[in-house]
Amino acid sequence: MKARSFLQEAMIAAFMLIILVCIPFVSDSSAVIDFGIRLAAFAVFATSLNILIGFGGMVSFGHALYFGAGAYSFGLIMQHLDLPIPVAFLLAVGFCATVAAIVGAICVRLKEIYFAFLTLAFQMLFHSIVVSWTSFTGGDQGLMGGLPRPPFLGLNLVEPSDLYLFSMVVGVVSLLLMRYILQSPFGFTLRMVRDNPDRAKFLGVNVWRIKLLAFVLAGSFGGIGGIIMALLVSGAFPDFTYWTMSGEAVFMVLMGGVNTFIGPVLGAALLLGFNDIITRVTEHHGLALGAIILLFALVFKHGITDFIVQGWHKLTGKKVES
Amino acid sequence: MDTEALFECVTSLSCLVTQTSTGLIVGSLLFLVATGLTLIFGVLGIVNFAHGSLYMLGAYIALSAFRLTDSFIIATFVGAIGVGAFSLFFERFFMRRVYGADVLMQLLVCYAFILILDDAVKIIWGSEFQSMGMPSYFQEPPVFLAGGVIPVFYIYLIGIAACMALALWLLLNKTIIGKIVRAAASNPSMTSALGLNTSLIYAGVFAFGGALAGLAGALAAPVRSMSPGMGFSILIESFIVTVIGGMGSVSGALVGALLIGLIRSFGSIGFPFFIEGVMFVAMAAILVLKPSGIMGKDSH
Amino acid sequence: MLKIENLRKSFGGVVATNDVSIEFPRDSLCAVIGPNGAGKTTFFNLISGALQPDSGRILLDGQDIVGKSSAQIVHMGIGRAFQVAKLFKSLTVEQSLRGALLSPLGKSSSLAGRFPLSVTRDRAYEVMDQLGLTPKANVISGVLSHGDQKLLDMALALVLSPKVLLLDEPVAGMGPEEREQMMDTVYGLWKKGGLTIVLIEHDMEIVFKVSQNIHVLSYGKVLAEGTPEQIRKNPVVIEAYLGSAKEHAA
Repeated sequence: MKARSFLQEAMIAAFMLIILVCIPFVSDSSAVIDFGIRLAAFAVFATSLNILIGFGGMVSFGHALYFGAGAYSFGLIMQHLDLPIPVAFLLAVGFCATVAAIVGAICVRLKEIYFAFLTLAFQMLFHSIVVSWTSFTGGDQGLMGGLPRPPFLGLNLVEPSDLYLFSMVVGVVSLLLMRYILQSPFGFTLRMVRDNPDRAKFLGVNVWRIKLLAFVLAGSFGGIGGIIMALLVSGAFPDFTYWTMSGEAVFMVLMGGVNTFIGPVLGAALLLGFNDIITRVTEHHGLALGAIILLFALVFKHGITDFIVQGWHKLTGKKVES
Repeated sequence: MDTEALFECVTSLSCLVTQTSTGLIVGSLLFLVATGLTLIFGVLGIVNFAHGSLYMLGAYIALSAFRLTDSFIIATFVGAIGVGAFSLFFERFFMRRVYGADVLMQLLVCYAFILILDDAVKIIWGSEFQSMGMPSYFQEPPVFLAGGVIPVFYIYLIGIAACMALALWLLLNKTIIGKIVRAAASNPSMTSALGLNTSLIYAGVFAFGGALAGLAGALAAPVRSMSPGMGFSILIESFIVTVIGGMGSVSGALVGALLIGLIRSFGSIGFPFFIEGVMFVAMAAILVLKPSGIMGKDSH
Repeated sequence: MLKIENLRKSFGGVVATNDVSIEFPRDSLCAVIGPNGAGKTTFFNLISGALQPDSGRILLDGQDIVGKSSAQIVHMGIGRAFQVAKLFKSLTVEQSLRGALLSPLGKSSSLAGRFPLSVTRDRAYEVMDQLGLTPKANVISGVLSHGDQKLLDMALALVLSPKVLLLDEPVAGMGPEEREQMMDTVYGLWKKGGLTIVLIEHDMEIVFKVSQNIHVLSYGKVLAEGTPEQIRKNPVVIEAYLGSAKEHAA
């Protein structure tokens, strides 16, 4: 299968965006719009985590730090400074990138489970700060008082339909950017570092620098997920940066498939979908979701897209670009 | 940070005694849970993310047993053994299938169980906060030591934990079983080549580790209120303890647990909102300076 | 080309490399042999920068490379193939080689452009052609046969156009036919000129057939050096091998 060019992928993305944007015109339901916005936030968040897990071989348990950092920094900027949304957006992403650079510089030297624990430690440290700095962040109540949303570019994000459009565009563009990054020379050097860091070193690659760059990129895009969420709930909550949020992202990635680009997006859709359906059907959310997850772990043993790709290999004998 | 209050307490013998005893019971419970976690990691190489739920299960089982028999001793026993049995079941039928797999798959299986167990507890015992209440024979007036207050139950709890620590030390270092377990921890293929049933050893260690968590839960029942989801915070804290002490090291679990216990109790006076923060700073510091932990071997 | 002077390396109490001095002339094809435990792989590790020696000098084309990192040494012209192939299991043969070429171009961390970069095509295919890997260009490294994996490992060492190529047991794990093919390939590479090759091998037939010079290591010291003919007749060498054979038999 010949590799697609970036232009081809951009066109696919544009096509998907058009379809997504048209959905609210087909279905009038506010639940669909709500789901779409949440999906945008989590698809970006989960895919950003997979830069680390799937493509970098670095399992982070503390990725929610950036989700929360994005939400809180964006929220605080909008509440305290009189800036247009796009500017606040960029500043918030910049904040996340900076935090990721600092945390990453310390963490990426460690291997495997220690790396995972240290990222978790930093995330929970951030959580503690957020929860105790009540005067600034609202403490465990979260950022209250709502988010001012001055209209921009003809969009008024107070309107759910406008917010939906905004989230879809931001979501698709973010995914496209991450795709671009992962198909760049850096993206393949990252894969080399994942597969055989020793060999990479013997080829002259500065492994630490590559991992740090991946970490910063992952953190920045993770922040974008948080910003979308902040706009949806008109605030920011400590839960955004709690370890359960990190856990959800890990499961989205695992269930969707770590070895493909689109896996985490699918995983996000699945997990959000399951959560919604389950809460509607039964009170026993934990039992149902737990059973489903066990199914994936014990029977499929891989995420869905990995499962499909492997099956395709077996059927056709061809290799598929992921 | 309330340094004044902290200083006042540290320099006042009564406060020192009270807070230290509180720190010791927190530490004792953590020691039991963390030891289970660290043994499972040391021998099976698995990070048992469901460990906090085993603790929760121990508390609830003990609660019911106590309500039935009105005997705390029986309740504790049933709690520990019950969770041990459950752990055996969990290991044999679920964890065993993901031994060779990615740590992420193991995490997924454990997370699934956390969800299932939390819901199961909710269904069986209800989602409201439950309390065992202090069993009647512990309802003695507290002991006064240098002006500080130590509830009688605390002494009992600390005593049990100390006995377990001693028993564990003897078991691991002075018995054949202990030798086998330590051998399986450092070299599983050799151990099985020598004819020892590693599968049995794994099951045994996992069940034992789980039983320790269950025991901790049962012991905590009189002094903690129970709710589904109570396993989360103990899980996080016991992770911190094992990382600080050294994954796989029981003596490390002891050191780490006492440290965290004291941080908790004195922290509630000096920096009540930042206790978690301090614990994570400690964990981060260890990971950066000596990742193998305080008592861990410098094998990296 | 590559001159090692008085190299020493100890691990704890064990002296792995004991005052070793060897010269590998430019464009030569030499072998380093010795019984197990002689310190051959440690020797390669020291030359390629994976380990730092306690003392001594390693001169590559006159320049001392001791103290430099393995990445720097690679850029200075030493390529290494490993006993157990170190590959990028999820990348195809072509991707691995074109990925390797990013480093000398300084493009490893480049976010610009789509991989693979067109400038890397020619060199990657050149090396694949040299080693007969071209038909397998799009095969994922992880599923290659053992022999092809070793070839790819060698290709990864060659693709950066090294001056010196270190081959650690190139035919390890191969059957007789594959061995011949591999050695023909190595010999062909060498014949083209411009490459100094040093091999570690246990297969004596191969060693005696292709090498110009043989250096025998034993317990970290240089036991003997010379042409294949000289080494074959050298009683000390025979003793060292038989001696260790006796130990194993006993």
